[in-house]
Amino acid sequence: MNKIATKGRNFLLLGQCLPCTKQNAAKVRVRRMVLDTNINMYFREDKMFYVHDPNKICKSGDIVLIKELEKKLTTLITHSVEEIVFPLGDVTDPITNKKCVVGKYRDQIEEANQLYGKKETAFDYEKAPPRGKLEGKQDFSHGITYLKYHESEEEQPFGIQ
Amino acid sequence: MPFMIGRAPVRRTLKYLNSGRIVLKDKIKIFSINYNVGLGFKNKVHEGAQAFVFWTLPQLQYKNPDVQVVTFKNMTPTPFIRCYYENGNQILIDIDSKSNDEIINHLIKVVGKSEKTLAAETLAAEKKDNPANFGVGCSRKCMCEIPDQIPCPGVCPLPKHMRGKYILYKKDELENAEV
Repeated sequence: MNKIATKGRNFLLLGQCLPCTKQNAAKVRVRRMVLDTNINMYFREDKMFYVHDPNKICKSGDIVLIKELEKKLTTLITHSVEEIVFPLGDVTDPITNKKCVVGKYRDQIEEANQLYGKKETAFDYEKAPPRGKLEGKQDFSHGITYLKYHESEEEQPFGIQ
Repeated sequence: MPFMIGRAPVRRTLKYLNSGRIVLKDKIKIFSINYNVGLGFKNKVHEGAQAFVFWTLPQLQYKNPDVQVVTFKNMTPTPFIRCYYENGNQILIDIDSKSNDEIINHLIKVVGKSEKTLAAETLAAEKKDNPANFGVGCSRKCMCEIPDQIPCPGVCPLPKHMRGKYILYKKDELENAEV
């Protein structure tokens, strides 16, 4: 096919943020479908990109749109964040512009909860702090986890048994 | 069909993949589709989207190998397709309660290359494919590039008897005009 496209394959990509310890960068996992020529079937292949994110707007789990930089910042950082398409847990349906959770709109869920009787300690979307406020206290999704190999007195919030 | 495994293995034949109708426009970089799967979503709302992903998405990816085709499952109540252009524009297509065929036809109209464009492209590809051709759209631009042919008419003008002007028009008129 004649391609008149001016930009390469990796110019604009959609990917999911992963926990990253770099200071100005976010790690984004881009899923592409690759054709296995033996059985003519498409399989998922993950590609990691380090993305320039100086203000740390990307949290792990968010679906982001990344754009290739004209010139690489470092040998690893090749893209920059364009926009966060679906933040984790806070998905907005683009057709109705309403917040939703899987197959229901949040206001529908609220109504149902009110009818059944909502507990005071139940999670309230309006009163909840934005993601990032509880980092280090209750939210530990920003760090890379590892298997605990040594029990010591100090706390290991990112160590898994 | 070698390796006749899985549901509808016809989807994995080259003939089926090559018969895809949707060739996205060159400026589209990402084709994303949001739909729901599961027992609770086997209703009219998502049926068409599920069928589209099952039947047409492999064809779409095969015809557009450089486009990132992404699926998002169980994120929003209604299914939709979103295409991202090179210049940052996005196109949002609502596919709520639409059947597979309806979605395909709509996509061809909105984001796909028309049959006319595809025919013209295949013609151009064929012209380039034949190494014996020369001219516009081929690897050799001029007759002079072919060995054993005349030097480039742009550099050494052709003798008058080889020029169409002298063969078709009257000699005297042309000579007077040139003077």
